[in-house]
Amino acid sequence: MAAVRSRTRAGRAAVSMSGEALRSDQLRKVYRSKGGPPVEALAGVTMRVARGERVALLGRNGAGKTTFLRIASTLLRPTSGTIEVFGCDVDRAPEKVRPYIAVVPQEGKPFFHLTPREQIYSYLRARGLGRETSKVRTADALERMSLTEFADRLSITLSGGQRQRTMVATVIATEAPLLFLDEPTIGMDPFARRSVWESLRNLTRRGSTILLTTHYLDEADALSQRLYIVDRGTVLVEGTAEDLKRSVGGTLKVLLPQGAAEVERFRSFGSCVPDGESLTVIASPERLGELMDVAVRSHLTATVGPVTLEEAFLRVVGRSINED
Amino acid sequence: MRTDARARARPFRGLAAFLGTEVLVQAHEELAMATSMVVQVVLLVFVWVLNPGLIGVALVGAVLFSMFAMGQRVLNEAAYIRIDHKVSDLYLASPLSAEAYFLGISAGVLLVYLAPVVVVAVLATVVVHLTVADVGLLALLAAAVWLTSASIGYVFSTAFRDNRAIWAYSSLFFNVFGVLPPVFYPFGLFPVALRPVVLLMPPSAAAAILQGVLGAATLTHAELLLAAGGLAGESAGLFAFASYWARRTVRGR
Repeated sequence: MAAVRSRTRAGRAAVSMSGEALRSDQLRKVYRSKGGPPVEALAGVTMRVARGERVALLGRNGAGKTTFLRIASTLLRPTSGTIEVFGCDVDRAPEKVRPYIAVVPQEGKPFFHLTPREQIYSYLRARGLGRETSKVRTADALERMSLTEFADRLSITLSGGQRQRTMVATVIATEAPLLFLDEPTIGMDPFARRSVWESLRNLTRRGSTILLTTHYLDEADALSQRLYIVDRGTVLVEGTAEDLKRSVGGTLKVLLPQGAAEVERFRSFGSCVPDGESLTVIASPERLGELMDVAVRSHLTATVGPVTLEEAFLRVVGRSINED
Repeated sequence: MRTDARARARPFRGLAAFLGTEVLVQAHEELAMATSMVVQVVLLVFVWVLNPGLIGVALVGAVLFSMFAMGQRVLNEAAYIRIDHKVSDLYLASPLSAEAYFLGISAGVLLVYLAPVVVVAVLATVVVHLTVADVGLLALLAAAVWLTSASIGYVFSTAFRDNRAIWAYSSLFFNVFGVLPPVFYPFGLFPVALRPVVLLMPPSAAAAILQGVLGAATLTHAELLLAAGGLAGESAGLFAFASYWARRTVRGR
């Protein structure tokens, strides 16, 4: 802790566009409230995000993802530890960091009495961009988010998914070097989610860095180049989605909806994860036939599929991402 | 580097653009604009019915009360976009300065709701036969009252997590301090022992000064000094505090 304090005092306050986009060391956040016990939302998170990377924070509700994002985006003070954006200490000099970041807040909504075009344009102008640049970027962001058709309708008349796309478009249009997106595709239909993913991939190709939180496993899998699984304020594991899937110990998952009671029969085939009445067995293709024989003899139905991030998450966290 | 590299922490950076946004947003609230003068008009009718001779005092009071009531709108708007929309995060985690954010909301409210106040001010000018100097004084005092109420409104908005609580408290605060003291009626009718208290309240201090200048009330030098000094100190002090508070509360603790 002494080292952390000393580092904080000596923390840098100048933005450097070389090196890492974000680094945190032993970042802690404890919420204190009158009459209640303190809640440790972050318990020493150390993280690195390289420039141009797309990194996902994956975790259940209350894991600490949003707290981390709010601290990184200068909206919340940490209790201890350090966090730097482009080499600049976020806690000491937040005003120097802000020109280089943009944030999609969780469950944020655009102004209801602005159209998406007005929302994006006026936000870019408030960030200090010129009229012409703002106009061009607004049109571009509207098109990329498939909002052109609704661009001149008041946001109050738009659906929840269209409003969320407006928020994402607003932030994408900034082309800020570092974007923070807190559950960016919540409430969107599958088509819109894919549009967002493609736009975010394009942004990183052009040099931006993206840190997003999500509890959609398919989103983390499809979008992130690297991900951190967090639970109870701690980073449990970090790596690529493929690394994490490989770590599960097999390439196939066999779901036995009534298999939890028969778990002992399947232990020799690979790792077994009971979840309520069901049992998921991670197995290799070579032993699949043998495993299915055991299932049939036990009068169990089974479905077979490739291992996904869900199994990796279950193995690491011990609970499903949707479990409360 | 595509983002403006000159971006630095400048007070009121981005104010003009954010003010424009707020004006656009609030200009859609036609009904709220139309109803913003209901309390004032009702009180003016009461005064007209009960004592038509006091209508001049009440008209001047209505202008000052209207400026004070703008603080309630600042409170509601700032809380709404923070609690309901969370769009405040979009702006506060950007190069837009916290001071510009606070002033943008406040001035946006002022610009959108000013027109009916100007109508009442013109009416007061005609009825009371205000001179150019009187009108200048009225504008100055109205500006000071707006500055204090907008500052109070913004600071209060940061203290709540639930809009329902805000509605109750904001209405209570602005009506008690705006209607109860001698704003719509002469300062001389207020109990002598409590006069120093109302001279420290922005709307009644401004009203007392104007009534004194217009001959509708008699103020001692000490009372005039207390009202003017108090209002000047409160408006400057509260604006400075609200600017500091806006910067401080960008980051939660």
